Amino acid sequence: MPHTNPQKIPLIQGFWSESTGDAASLRLIGNKCKACGEIFFPPRRRPWCIHCQQGALEEVSLGPRGKIATFSIVMQAPGGGFYKGTVPYAYGCVDLPEGVRVKALFAGADFDRLTVGQEVELVIDPLYQDDNGQDVVTFKFKPIEGQGGKP
Amino acid sequence: MKPISQMRSVVVAGIGITPWGAQGEQECYDIGSQAVFHVLQDAEMTWPDIQAVFCGSVYQGTGSGHQAIKEVGLSGIPIVNVENACSSGASAMRLAYQAVAAEIYDVVLAMGMEKMPRGPIPSTAFRPWELASGFNVQMANYANEAVAYMHETGASVEDFGRVTVKNRRNGAMNPNARFQVPVTLDEVLNSRMVATPLRLLHCCPLADGAAAVILCSPDKLKTRRRGITVAASVLTSAVYGEGIMMGGTLESLKYPAAEGITELSARQAYEAAACGPEEIDVVQAYDTMAPAELWDLEKLGFCAPGDAAGLLDDGIFDIDGRLPVNTDGGLMSRGHPLGATGLGQIYEIVLQLRGEAGPRQVPGARIGLAHAMGAGPNSAVTILKA
Repeated sequence: MPHTNPQKIPLIQGFWSESTGDAASLRLIGNKCKACGEIFFPPRRRPWCIHCQQGALEEVSLGPRGKIATFSIVMQAPGGGFYKGTVPYAYGCVDLPEGVRVKALFAGADFDRLTVGQEVELVIDPLYQDDNGQDVVTFKFKPIEGQGGKP
Repeated sequence: MKPISQMRSVVVAGIGITPWGAQGEQECYDIGSQAVFHVLQDAEMTWPDIQAVFCGSVYQGTGSGHQAIKEVGLSGIPIVNVENACSSGASAMRLAYQAVAAEIYDVVLAMGMEKMPRGPIPSTAFRPWELASGFNVQMANYANEAVAYMHETGASVEDFGRVTVKNRRNGAMNPNARFQVPVTLDEVLNSRMVATPLRLLHCCPLADGAAAVILCSPDKLKTRRRGITVAASVLTSAVYGEGIMMGGTLESLKYPAAEGITELSARQAYEAAACGPEEIDVVQAYDTMAPAELWDLEKLGFCAPGDAAGLLDDGIFDIDGRLPVNTDGGLMSRGHPLGATGLGQIYEIVLQLRGEAGPRQVPGARIGLAHAMGAGPNSAVTILKA
């Protein structure tokens, strides 16, 4: 279990790992197909490559850095009551150097730093507090200081 | 698969629609049955003529088509409810088309109806962690694609606004549209921000409403009016490697799709109809969000990638332009009752090909195309010929 702090509850298990328990070792967990080389994130529930139709997936670490491919700042709460985080919030796509596009939230409220091509890094960040006051956390991407962004 | 050239030809015997908008206390089943009475009248048929029903809806619960049909007649015929997200109506159309083309039935009703929940569509076809992360905001999924499209083509939010302005201008001539008042570009660009860079007036409104068509073999036509031929009715779903965020797919960086689902459905439809995009006289494109109309026209083959905004600015897609698009105001004016939208588009194309579109008539329109996308993703292309 990467998360030893009882105050922090991961939104979902098995999507990220911190091998040494510190932020510097944070990586996403994905799959690579041993037959065609395709990379998947989130990790697939079955060891099955939907690209080449082979059952040849292995686990790989992804990130922690990538570039914003696209994004949007959402100004109103989603319908249905599933999302309990703050509004506005930003999500978009990040291209990782391993060759996979990932859909993710962006950390922080400094939305001016979000631009296509901006370098970002992986963080684990609170999404909302549950009924017991505990932080539910998830993976997000945060713009890297001094790298790209609007002047 | 059997080539379409070996199948029986299918014609539109009649079309029906209700006003689209906020229908207050009126229940969905009554809205649906209203469209059925209208289509029977238009086709000069009675209920016993109908041999099967396909009914598109998304939010109306189990067996909803049966409830609407109960208000019309009980004749023991098969009724199948079709849920295929925003392409539900178009999918019902395709099933009805196939049933007649394959000579299983001679006269089939395709209908779509919806009474929409208020507020943003609570799309739930996502994994729980995605719902909890707020990834089910379809305006934001389109906004993500719009940002990428702007980056690739140089299109601007003003270009997207001009889509709304054109469609709202057309909608002002459609007595069934939810919005029948034009808007200015300034109004679009000053409306409330919903998901950057898209504002409220870049989004289609929701609506309650229903639409219906009766399809039949040419010998079963009852009106003296000439039937409109269904030249193609195609449906595709996700292809590997293409990113359609509202349908929950992301582009593969290693294996991007050679042909996306819209391009695939268009190619299949043009092949079936034995015509090309240059022969189409009137188009119903899928403008659920304003930028989508631009990339839709490109993917359907009407112009090169990145050229749609310039052509729009030149008036090419106006009713008096070379290729009129969304002559009834599109989703932007008509509103979006999910299960009915695909058939609302087909209603307008039939009206145009009959020459009955009144002030918004495209002179001499002979061939029309309707395109309905849907979460899934789905892409449905229908080509009709006078």
